Amino acid sequence: MTFGRKTAIVGVGYSAIHREKGVDSRPLATTAAKNAIADAGLDVSDIDGIFEYPGFGELSIDMQRMLGIENLRCFGDYAASGPSGLAAALGAETAVASGQCDVALVFRSITREWGQQSGQVVFPPASGPLQYQMPYGVAGAIIPVMGMKKQRRFAEFGGREEDYGAIAVNARKWSALNERAVLRDPITMDDYLSSRFVSEPLRLLDCDYPITGACAVIITTAERAADLAQKPVFIDASALGTGGRPDWTFTDDFVFGGTRACSNTLWERSSVTPADVDVAELYDGFTHITISWAEALGLCGIGEFGDWVDGGATIGPGGSLPMNTNGGQLAEGRMHGLSFLAEAALQLRGQCDVRQVDGARVAVVANAAGPQCGAMVLTS
Amino acid sequence: MDKPEPVPDAVSAFYWEHAARGELAVQGFEDSDFVQFPPNSVAEQVDVSGAPRPVVVSGRGTLYAYTILHQAFHPAFADSVPLAIGLTELDDHPGIRILSNIVDAEIGELRSGLPVEVTFEKRGSQHLPQFRPVRSGDSA
Repeated sequence: MTFGRKTAIVGVGYSAIHREKGVDSRPLATTAAKNAIADAGLDVSDIDGIFEYPGFGELSIDMQRMLGIENLRCFGDYAASGPSGLAAALGAETAVASGQCDVALVFRSITREWGQQSGQVVFPPASGPLQYQMPYGVAGAIIPVMGMKKQRRFAEFGGREEDYGAIAVNARKWSALNERAVLRDPITMDDYLSSRFVSEPLRLLDCDYPITGACAVIITTAERAADLAQKPVFIDASALGTGGRPDWTFTDDFVFGGTRACSNTLWERSSVTPADVDVAELYDGFTHITISWAEALGLCGIGEFGDWVDGGATIGPGGSLPMNTNGGQLAEGRMHGLSFLAEAALQLRGQCDVRQVDGARVAVVANAAGPQCGAMVLTS
Repeated sequence: MDKPEPVPDAVSAFYWEHAARGELAVQGFEDSDFVQFPPNSVAEQVDVSGAPRPVVVSGRGTLYAYTILHQAFHPAFADSVPLAIGLTELDDHPGIRILSNIVDAEIGELRSGLPVEVTFEKRGSQHLPQFRPVRSGDSA
């Protein structure tokens, strides 16, 4: 199901990804944008819409200035309440489908400081929503709450630490095949099980890896895509989801958040089914989130991830459902969402070289979790 | 560095005032049984329009989820780790969960479903609701 005109991903671009601090992200953002535009075989002057997340840093009109674009017919700066970088892609898709614009640039640039939670020394007062959490030591974004979510999943559904470890180990299997990735050394299950507790049972290797870098994609109509440089990758379906009483902590569905509602909407709109998925790019800001999406999307049953993942065989190179084939944010680095969409597009274009999933024709992409879920189905 | 104390506002003042009296209260509304936590300036239920009112609860509940914080992201907690943080679901209002530290507890005894009860910790000018395991022999 589309929202008007059928849409496609036609360009993908990255900047360099690294661990340096104190970096001006604007050159990274424009590098990624120019690479995506060139990848599509388009000219900068073709861009008539720009969409970005999270609504601070470089805004859409900042990017317009830096690229010297005469005018934007549509733009969107998405609040940090949305599903990470995919929020901007969902907005771009809707704008292109409706005819608000024809060629949309979507980007996310991020610096290591943005994603890193340790080392902060200045905190705001415990007022507003913080008054119910910060006096108890809850800081570092959602990390302590994510520890509770992992614990609660064990309590509700059983499972083993190794279920989470399979995702962490899998990330390095794939990142070894991705020259862009920041962490490329393999790890073992023992490495995972001996990594330190950050917020027990949440381990260090359950958490993604802050980086500095930028990613961009180009979305246009399927009609226009037919004349461009790359094999088009069509947006078959997309969805947002929030769940009841949306919040990371004080919410109805503490374990899954909005992932189940989002997944239900996604498959209602899709022309394919979970059984048709060839490659899955599922958010891994924390491994708990990846499991939530795999189960919510119906790639396996609720509470059945551990059996399904088969020690990691299912989702690794050569597995029946390769997952997070760029190494995800655990290993490629925390690009904050949009890189899952870019990787899915490259896989369906058949351009992933040594990490290419043979015959990949259907991909599912999911971003964020809790109250801010988003997902897409792509087809080639 | 002192641990942060909560900063009450117009919506939450009742919560901290009750805590200072040794009572746990959640937010209810006139002419309704609906309660919510955290408090808000409006009821998060469309058919509830009465004025907000405090609803004092027993302070008994069960531990819904917990974590043991090993890395203190807020420097005031650097000497307090490992630190137990949990969500307690109230016996009086299932579905209402309050976040606190789990105090007077051994880490090994923590589990989802553990019966807990409220206690209060003085923090600067405020009193924080905290939860602790119910010990056999405690008043029921």
